[in-house]
Amino acid sequence: MTSSAQLITSDRPQEVGTTIQTTCCYCGVGCGVDAQVQDNQVVSVSGTQAHPANLGRLCVKGSSLHETQRSPDRLLTPMLQGEPTSWDTALDYAAQKFQAIIAEHGPDSVAFYLSGQLLTEDYYIANKLMKGFVGTANIDTNSRLCMASAVVAHKRAFGGDTVPGCYEDLEQTDVLILVGSNTAYAHPVVYQRIARAKELRPEMKIVVIDPRRTATCEIADIHLPIKPGSDAFFFNGLLQYLAQHGHTDVDYIAAHCNGFDEALAVAAEQVPTPEAAAEVCEVPSGDIEHVYRLFAAHEKVVTVFSQGVNQSSSGVDKGNALINCHLATGKIGKPGATPFSITGQPNAMGGREVGGLANQLAAHMGYDNPASIERVAQFWQAPNMARDEGLKAVDMFDAIHEGKIKAVWVMATNPAVTMPDAGKVREALQKCDLVIVSDCIGNTDTAKLADVVLPASTWSEKHGTVTNSERCISLQKGFLSPPGEALHDWQIIMRFAEKLGFGEQFNYRHQVEIFREHAALSALDNNAEVALRGFNISALADISEQDYENLSPIQWPVTPESPEGTPRLFADGQFYTADGRARLVPITARLPVKTPLPNQVIMNTGRIRDQWHTMSRTGTASKLLGHVDEPYIDVHPDDVARFGLLEGDLAMLKNRGSVYYGRVKPSASQRVGEVFVPMHWNGKYAASSCADALVNPYVDPICGQPEFKHSPVMIKPFRQAWNGFLICSQDIRPECEYWAKITLDTGYKFRLAGGESLPCWRTWAHAQFPEISDWVTVEDSDHQFFRTAGFVGGVLQVMFSAATDKKSAPEMRWLEQQLGQATDASGRFAILAGIPDAGVEDEGAMVCSCFQVGEKTIRKAISDGCDSVEALGNKIKCGTNCGSCIPELKAMLR
Amino acid sequence: MSKSKQTLLIVGNGMAAGRLLDELIKRDISGFEITVIGDERQGSYNRIMLSPVLAGETDVPAIIGKPSAWYRDRGIRFVSGVQVKAIEREQKCVLTTEGNRLRYDHLVLATGSRPAKIPAKNQQLENIYSFRTLRDVDRLLNVARFHDKHGRKTDTDALVIGGGLLGLEAAYGLALKGLRVTLVHRSGWLLNRQLDKAAGTYLQRVLESKNIHFMLSDEVERFTGSHELKAAEFKSGRSVSCKLCVIATGITPNKELGLTAGLQGDRGVSVDAYMATSDTSISAIGECVEFKGATFGLVEPIWHQCTTLAERLCNNIKRPFENSPVPTKLKVSGVNLFSAGEFITTDEHRELLYCDDQAGIYRKILLRDNRIVGAVLFGDARDGQDYFSMLQEKRDVSDIAQYLLMGRAFYAASSDEPAAA
Ligand SMILES: Cc1cc2nc3c(=O)[nH]c(=O)nc-3n(C[C@H](O)[C@H](O)[C@H](O)COP(=O)(O)OP(=O)(O)OC[C@H]3O[C@@H](n4cnc5c(N)ncnc54)[C@H](O)[C@@H]3O)c2cc1C
Ligand code: SF4
Repeated sequence: MTSSAQLITSDRPQEVGTTIQTTCCYCGVGCGVDAQVQDNQVVSVSGTQAHPANLGRLCVKGSSLHETQRSPDRLLTPMLQGEPTSWDTALDYAAQKFQAIIAEHGPDSVAFYLSGQLLTEDYYIANKLMKGFVGTANIDTNSRLCMASAVVAHKRAFGGDTVPGCYEDLEQTDVLILVGSNTAYAHPVVYQRIARAKELRPEMKIVVIDPRRTATCEIADIHLPIKPGSDAFFFNGLLQYLAQHGHTDVDYIAAHCNGFDEALAVAAEQVPTPEAAAEVCEVPSGDIEHVYRLFAAHEKVVTVFSQGVNQSSSGVDKGNALINCHLATGKIGKPGATPFSITGQPNAMGGREVGGLANQLAAHMGYDNPASIERVAQFWQAPNMARDEGLKAVDMFDAIHEGKIKAVWVMATNPAVTMPDAGKVREALQKCDLVIVSDCIGNTDTAKLADVVLPASTWSEKHGTVTNSERCISLQKGFLSPPGEALHDWQIIMRFAEKLGFGEQFNYRHQVEIFREHAALSALDNNAEVALRGFNISALADISEQDYENLSPIQWPVTPESPEGTPRLFADGQFYTADGRARLVPITARLPVKTPLPNQVIMNTGRIRDQWHTMSRTGTASKLLGHVDEPYIDVHPDDVARFGLLEGDLAMLKNRGSVYYGRVKPSASQRVGEVFVPMHWNGKYAASSCADALVNPYVDPICGQPEFKHSPVMIKPFRQAWNGFLICSQDIRPECEYWAKITLDTGYKFRLAGGESLPCWRTWAHAQFPEISDWVTVEDSDHQFFRTAGFVGGVLQVMFSAATDKKSAPEMRWLEQQLGQATDASGRFAILAGIPDAGVEDEGAMVCSCFQVGEKTIRKAISDGCDSVEALGNKIKCGTNCGSCIPELKAMLR
Repeated sequence: MSKSKQTLLIVGNGMAAGRLLDELIKRDISGFEITVIGDERQGSYNRIMLSPVLAGETDVPAIIGKPSAWYRDRGIRFVSGVQVKAIEREQKCVLTTEGNRLRYDHLVLATGSRPAKIPAKNQQLENIYSFRTLRDVDRLLNVARFHDKHGRKTDTDALVIGGGLLGLEAAYGLALKGLRVTLVHRSGWLLNRQLDKAAGTYLQRVLESKNIHFMLSDEVERFTGSHELKAAEFKSGRSVSCKLCVIATGITPNKELGLTAGLQGDRGVSVDAYMATSDTSISAIGECVEFKGATFGLVEPIWHQCTTLAERLCNNIKRPFENSPVPTKLKVSGVNLFSAGEFITTDEHRELLYCDDQAGIYRKILLRDNRIVGAVLFGDARDGQDYFSMLQEKRDVSDIAQYLLMGRAFYAASSDEPAAA
């Protein structure tokens, strides 16, 4: 095997001032990005005009890509048990232990947990190594947490995991239904495109179905605030309505669908009328019928669904219930007519393509077909082909917790924060014999629990393909060299494979070789005679390195028949099932597993606009936190009153022994009895505001996706003894019951609050920064407030302000800007005040020291008419005490 | 001599007398025949400025506000270098030590005060001085000028007794002249009548940097030497050899003249709010008086006394004197301190405290019912006057409490407009 120096063949350090076309790494919209590179740094970014996903647009996350690149927490060398070490030592340790565990407990005692951040090539070889060579299908990804329901729903309906439509459909449709999809925040550029389309064609109807009145509702004609989890009832009702009123496409059903009658029978029985739907969904039946009528009356209908539907214990069924309606009316495969599942992560789709999930095999082949297993094993020349499905995310971490899985490799994700019942996941990782983490950041909550941490490359360094929500494959370009000893994930996996003894089968020299292999596999026996699969990029199987480097965005399938890609599938009514017909699945709608007790509310979790997942990247750009900078809880005003909460105060949610602290935001957009919390905060950004830790580990029985959107939790006010904020140049973990970290351009800001007892603030603050000795302090014996600022070499390092009531110092930007600045003694007053000197004029040289009257004031009094020492004394008091300044006053009067 | 004129006799020609003359002249003195008798040789001078004179920051002529010609030009009789021994109230005249009698229609006592005595033995020795008059300063400057010619090796050049304002200013002046100075103070911290311990300690730190050594919580028991001062022995048992000593431990009002004449009084000559003593023909002003049990040591209230008395004598207007608190300042360059009102924190106070050790800035404000009752500032005294006005106005400061210590620039802003971002 070659050395790492030779391995890095795709890194192309760029000349001064080049523009690189790449993609955004933040969400599943998959926008094309033009990055301006100078001196081995991205200096600015803009949207790629020609990219079909965004056509030049970028959202606020995307446009700050260049600001989030230089992370102070960047991991530069491999770490073994917390100590820096060499790649060889780290990988030898990891591989030997991995092998020993397999030798003793069998291949199913090891697992990989991947992420939608990985590039397709990374995914592909990780999947190949585990399923073909290690011999286990224990490989799952965090896409499980957002996408798994849709994957299964697609498979059940279409015979393959395929999104039929493309983004243009969202613009070209006449009725756009967004279900459980806060597009405005989760898929900003898609939202922008919809908003623009609505502007151009106001007659286009937009319906939002979401328990919350989300920001997306801004552009909606109708918002149905349905009871959480009642989506499938709504769509069953719709199917029944369509059938009852003769709006189904009988010919289409006859020609292309199976299962219509069965599906209708179940739906009609469960939800016979719009009134019945209204009862379960808890919205007026008139509104429901109105939407039903819209669906029925228009040819062009698009139903967009994402997390709100997927993250549920019946997510698959919900997906099929809505797809049923499209199939029954033939509203699929046509411009402006399709069900549209939209993904969260930038390359969740890529992971689905390669089969990087425990219940998939590879390249859209599944474990349900023994012939497929054989085909893949042959293709890979796999010595240890895994023959059965592996454990899905939640089960995987349960198995770790139970000691059944003894080694896990976590790649580019942070399950200690994002998994449901995250506290238990931490426990599991603590127990696990071997935890390997590869990540670009060295101090994620998960990495802290790892034995081996491997430095990986990140956006701007990584080089390979990604696929967005509309099946569009783009090249995410690497144009900077990874810092320190960081390597690309595929390189890391390859070196690990070599240590395991599979060096021969894993000796790719360039990403394109992996890509070609994947393309070839996608084409293998992919025909109607054997088993037609949606994912087919056979036309790219022989792509040259140069063409790969210049790959234009292209939507799969890419076959000899459609070399330019395929924007829409199923136009011909041909599906990927054995008989080529789509299947309507009979759905018995179910409500969420747990119903809340009287002292509980239902917790729903989701994103805020400007943060991305667990903030490990976006958390470092202060601009992004300007929007919402602290964990919060959206609560209906009635609940605010019912639970004795106060706007802006802290409240706590409790479940499963975990607590979520957040600021109370009364919001009429919230349904009574339900709260919404953002999912982004974790142990690096807050003391205890990790929403996912409270989520019950109930999963969809079919796909294993957890029920993130519906957790009954206890809610009560957090009775704080004090509150405050702390700004400092260095990142710390304040010892405090509540804190939330906010990244500033100059350092960090923490909002703090403490429970029952009042600490000695001075001792507390100074103990957080033992290295600082130069402190300025303001104390109040009544403990109404406290302030202190710490300096090193006259430069402001820390400012802490606390109060027992709500009178904290104003948190002005000005104060934040003083961090890292040198100040004089009077500047220190300003810092402790938290506001700049309000411009009380400089007095000039002191003349009357008894009354502190300066030269400027005296000169002004003279020009205002004081013509004698007495007059001056009467007006501004100078010279009226000891009189020693009278000679000077006289001189000034002359 | 026109019969209608009243004979106004002023005994003592210090700062109060000088100011009273100014106030009378400002009004109308045509109805008076004015005589001033003072036992100091000079006309009224600015005693406050003795400290800067000692420190060499100004010179003697600059502080003599009223040379003899000043009196002559205004038709005021000035009897200088003469001491009054007694008042003969029945005859309405005073008796000088030389045996002369001077008649009065109205008599004003402005005899000021003298340095307080300390209990130490052998105070009669040569080179032990007080710090009150121009003559004291002359003599000190003289020894200071020649101190290095006294060949004797001593622990310190000058010993200053008393860590109050006077003592500190004396020590500072001498140190500036190049003398090695040791200051002895009975209390545990400097300016213990004006500052709390923290501020006193800050002050000490600054003065130590100006070459003054301190012996706190100690007292001189005796001086030793044959007729020239050689050393001082302390209660603690320590002994310090020195060339000169300045005693500045406090002042004692010159009340005896009045009290022997039968005027009422205790610590000083008692006056009412119009500066009248128990004899309606006799008034008193300045440091020799006692008003509602209080005596005086700073000029500001004395100025008000002078206005009150002048109003009454010239215009027969009764404008009562009010004894309002006076803030403390120290005339040592580079030392900024301010103290007003209460300064020792008790359980009844709400205390607001600002500490900047590095910059040597300390500020303490004491509140009762959210009103300022005291302020101690060290290192940056700029806002003292403002706090003092609020103290006098009894302003409720609860709304600006958290900005108060940072000074006007901030609490003014915070109360005008709630801090725009
Ligand atoms: C060095 C020094 C620094 C000071 N600094 C300050 C300061 O910064 N701020 C402040 O407010 N105050 C200060 N003071 C105090 C201030 O000088 C006095 O408060 C003020 O001088 C009092 O005025 P007076 O007229 O009552 O007394 P004096 O000024 O002492 O005048 C009394 C005069 O009466 C004379 N006299 C006494 N008895 C007789 C008699 N029987 N017959 C004839 N004459 C007599 C005395 O010799 C003296 O000349 C300072 C004092 C000193 C000594
Ligand atoms: S919409 Fe998604 S892909 Fe596009 S710029 Fe924003 S975060 Fe990046």
